[in-house]
Amino acid sequence: MEAMMLLVYDQPGVMQRVMGEFTRKRINVETIVVGKCEMPDRARIVLSISDREKALGVIEHLRALHEVIEADLIDHERHEAYAIMLGKDGVCRVTGTVEEVEGIIKKSQPAKYIETLNAI
Amino acid sequence: MKGAKAAVELLEQQNVEVMFGIPGGVLLPFYDELLQSDMRHILVRHEQCAGHMADGYARVAKRPGVCIATSGPGATNLVTGVATAFMDSSPVIAITGQVATGVLGNDAFQEADSFSLMMPITKHNFRITDPKALPETIKKAFLIATTGRFGPVHIDIPVDIFTADISDEDMAKEVRVPKPKRNLAGLLDAIKLLEQAERPTIMVGGGVTWSRAGPEITRLSEILMAPIVTTLMAKGSVPENHPLVLGVCGMHGRQVANYALNNCDVLLAIGTRFSDRVTGKLSEFGRKTKVVHVDIDSSEIGKNVKGRVGLVGDAWTVVNALIAGLQQRKKAATWKERIIQLNKECTCDYDLKSNPIKPQKVIHEMSKLLPEDAIVTTEVGQNQMWASHFFKCYGKRMFITSGGLGTMGFGFPAALGAKVARPESVVADIAGDGSLQMVSQEFATAIESDIPVMVCLLNNGWLGMVKQWQKLFYGERYMATKFGGSPDFVKLAEAYGAEAIRVERHSEISEAIRRGMKSDLPILLDFVVDPEEDALPMTPPGKNVSECIKGRCQWKGGVA
Repeated sequence: MEAMMLLVYDQPGVMQRVMGEFTRKRINVETIVVGKCEMPDRARIVLSISDREKALGVIEHLRALHEVIEADLIDHERHEAYAIMLGKDGVCRVTGTVEEVEGIIKKSQPAKYIETLNAI
Repeated sequence: MKGAKAAVELLEQQNVEVMFGIPGGVLLPFYDELLQSDMRHILVRHEQCAGHMADGYARVAKRPGVCIATSGPGATNLVTGVATAFMDSSPVIAITGQVATGVLGNDAFQEADSFSLMMPITKHNFRITDPKALPETIKKAFLIATTGRFGPVHIDIPVDIFTADISDEDMAKEVRVPKPKRNLAGLLDAIKLLEQAERPTIMVGGGVTWSRAGPEITRLSEILMAPIVTTLMAKGSVPENHPLVLGVCGMHGRQVANYALNNCDVLLAIGTRFSDRVTGKLSEFGRKTKVVHVDIDSSEIGKNVKGRVGLVGDAWTVVNALIAGLQQRKKAATWKERIIQLNKECTCDYDLKSNPIKPQKVIHEMSKLLPEDAIVTTEVGQNQMWASHFFKCYGKRMFITSGGLGTMGFGFPAALGAKVARPESVVADIAGDGSLQMVSQEFATAIESDIPVMVCLLNNGWLGMVKQWQKLFYGERYMATKFGGSPDFVKLAEAYGAEAIRVERHSEISEAIRRGMKSDLPILLDFVVDPEEDALPMTPPGKNVSECIKGRCQWKGGVA
């Protein structure tokens, strides 16, 4: 799994423009996190994509977008996973490395869960 | 100051002389202000053509062309014009009106989400929802359209922005856009490769037309002793009467150009994206070739042809850097002499004296008769391929065509835009009867705004290129390609007040073209041509050059 971090202007339409490039290149985005960041009027997007070749193919196109300030792939050791699970004992939050979180999900077999990749 | 007045002033500040458009409900405040402006407004008859006219204007003037359409259907009609400009990297500013911000998103009358519609077919686009942002947005739009790789920029302006107050402070705001990064780290590698090449070839694309690097590239080709082949988009950027310029390559290209492209050991590709119409089967393209790829857009390097020396920068700058690096070092010999000889032998300048008229003969006569500063536009299909193959572009001649999107109906409005940009030149649209029927209403625009262009209609009564494919690849099973009910084109043009001549004999062609060049009115020359004539040679899609269908072509130079 590859994670890509984008620094973008925080305004309506940015997500559509970014995702448009993935649509055009027929890339399925596995997970996506968007949030405010340390700079005002800017936001960070962290996307994960399964194929490294495809990730490299789209990154120059993302950099060409006028609302994207930076776009880079992130080293694997900086990846972090986050999940919310719903099991017998109610809601449970899990954070850790990708392997750790996936291990816990596999072990606890929750009724419902969502897992996402984040990085900084 | 009201938003509408601000918008007009901002366009004037950008030295806009002319805009092409159609008003509508939400544009009324803007058009009311336009009444007091010196900017010329050309009222078109369909918004798509406003886009093509702005595009044609931009390609000749080398600065942004402006088109404007109302909300909803105006914007959706404009889409084809903008998409055409996007594929050919033309700096068009497309302005659309929009319903008021208060009702935006509620399916108001004539509302369409034009911001989303235009997003994937523009270099960038804006929807203004705060009047404060109007001045900086318009300034930014012009900057973005002409910085780095050119491209269309769309601005969606709701009607209440036109009626809101704009402060002088906002009007005075300066804007900047990031400059594209240059990357010439591979320059030494490139120079080394080119220097050692035994069979170098230079391939130039549309980027060279925009960057006007033709003279420098011709010089580089003389230093390298390398032939130049052009893509369809680059036709006219280098003089086709130069012995080392081999003309257009690709699917319907000249055989000698394809020979040089496929047999070179080092290919210097400048401002081209290696379109499938040029490369044929991508997997087989350039397997034996080392490629140096120059492009202003870093995302083009390695997009279609991978693993090569990439130089990111403007064609003019990079070519000058290459000249500086190479001019001292003289090489004994390359395949230059052999290519020049082959180029001489690759004659397809057919002077076909037969009736019904052969379309190649019409182009042959145009090539001979049009002045050295003539601008030729084409529609899309067989007419375009005959024009690219048989019309010679040199001197100040220009060749304008929809290369990327392949928009039928592009040529006529683009010719009108080109004529507005360069009124002193003869402007001729090489048209087909299918394409012309998509935009024939623009004769009204040409008459009303006094834009005397010449439409040279190669009328064969078919959607010729599709028919040709049905003939060659679908066993002559013709479906929906023969026109049963075409109008009398002479009467059609005359109904609009244009001049028109029908030409049915080859002996009358040159006289008709001469008359067309002298006409003060828009003029239609209806050449009734042989419907059985195909646009050949042709390399079938997905095949390599060895499988080329040659037709009349006498080429004996070989393929490998």
